Amino acid sequence: MKGILFPQGVVEAREGLKEYLARGGYQALTKAVKSTPEEVIKIVSEAGLRGRGGAGFPTGKKWAFTRECSEQPHYLVLNGGEDEPGSKKDRMLMEFLPHLVIEGVILSAYAIGAAEAYLYINANYAEATKSITDALTEAKNAGYWGQNVLGSKFNLDIKLVPAPHNYVAGEDTAAIEVIEGKKAWPRQKPPFPVTVGLFGKPTAVNNVETLANVAPIILHDADWYRKFGTPDSRGTMIFSLNDDVNRPGIYELPFGTPLRYLIEECGGGIKGGKKIKAIMPAAPSSAFLPLDKIDTPLDHNSMREAGSGLGCGVVRLIGEGTCIVEEVLKISEFFTVESCGQCPACRMETNTLTALLKKVQQGQGGAPILEQFSKVLAFNKGKGFCNLIAMPGPPIESALKLFPADFEAHLATGKCPAN
Amino acid sequence: MRACLVCQNVDCKTRGSEQLMVELQKRVAAKGLTDVEVKPYMCFGACQEGPNIVIYPEKSWYAGVKTQDLDEITDHLAGGPNVQRLDTIDSSLKELIYQLLDTGIF
Repeated sequence: MKGILFPQGVVEAREGLKEYLARGGYQALTKAVKSTPEEVIKIVSEAGLRGRGGAGFPTGKKWAFTRECSEQPHYLVLNGGEDEPGSKKDRMLMEFLPHLVIEGVILSAYAIGAAEAYLYINANYAEATKSITDALTEAKNAGYWGQNVLGSKFNLDIKLVPAPHNYVAGEDTAAIEVIEGKKAWPRQKPPFPVTVGLFGKPTAVNNVETLANVAPIILHDADWYRKFGTPDSRGTMIFSLNDDVNRPGIYELPFGTPLRYLIEECGGGIKGGKKIKAIMPAAPSSAFLPLDKIDTPLDHNSMREAGSGLGCGVVRLIGEGTCIVEEVLKISEFFTVESCGQCPACRMETNTLTALLKKVQQGQGGAPILEQFSKVLAFNKGKGFCNLIAMPGPPIESALKLFPADFEAHLATGKCPAN
Repeated sequence: MRACLVCQNVDCKTRGSEQLMVELQKRVAAKGLTDVEVKPYMCFGACQEGPNIVIYPEKSWYAGVKTQDLDEITDHLAGGPNVQRLDTIDSSLKELIYQLLDTGIF
């Protein structure tokens, strides 16, 4: 399917400068430096671009907050930490469309008034890092960044920083800490990075896919972009499918496309021809959806109404015959391991949930064990510096609600009903 | 077997809960209390009031424990009176934690 970022569908080959220029590359930048940063922010706001890193925050608003801060200098951070298990969209964008990403970085820096941009890229992404590094050289030689970009007064320096490969390192403020040379520990918020970010200065941290959308928006205009997607979710989103479908890969689809289309037409359905038991539209931190929600449109509002979320688009399928208790235990163990440990409440919550799930799994739960999950989650709500503390809740609570029989079978027999 | 659970999460640890646990283990052994196991617990959720110690299954909770309190706590474990002045935790939190311990997660 033709998209905005991949106009000919996802092509797994690196697009060099020549090819990028041939399809209108860097024309958005040429246009932007002749207008004002405020105009760029206005177009991106009118286009309705929302962050693709998971939170869906309006990008134009983030930029306006940053730009309006009188404190100087301002910084831009491209967040390519991508530590969500199963997500590969940012890697593929950086690897195959490096100039689209870089043009987005330059436009964003121009908009927020930054003279320095940091590209924070997952340290395991050797190919993507090389592709971006090579593209940066090509772009600099062509005058797209550096001193007096395209003859304007806009100066921009771009630096690369490897991102540690652990889950919280992809969090905005953890990225900032790493760039400052510290441990990948999220900061307490507020203040948010838009006011107090990198080196204590106003900073916009944007996901790779988010910034890849900027050049097409500026090049074509906001009205063109608004033709894709739904009123609350404009444009397209890249979804990652993994080994649980017949055709794993990334798929760029307009927001509002039915979930069924992604699973069946793009992914070729669940592997092994099993019946789908549950769908996780934003693994691993979203609520499970039952099969009867398979026609839910892939947009923020519809997913929320269905009881789940879009996150960064890693869609997982759970097949009939798979035990949900085992699945949520794996998820809970993941968050327990990935909790950075600086907030006591997060350690308490993740460890307790995992301990409770292990008791259920082994059929050893005394007292009314299934009632304890929501109490532990409620007790710790909002007590962490970052959002990790909120992540085990949706999968665990939705699993308890949708598949109580799996929990009861474990408690009754100590054995997994799937085996 | 009774458990004397000593919180080992970040806050309690920074207030010396590791040393408290080791010291308590020594005193319990010295008193010959073979039915008491002094062991670490992940967190009781009362970080601001730590170090926290919970005795289970009798459900006694001692907060803000210092080394000089350990003799009294050991006496309690040996059948002596509760150390009332260290029993300061809110009852709703106690209920949450005791219910969790009742499920067997310790």
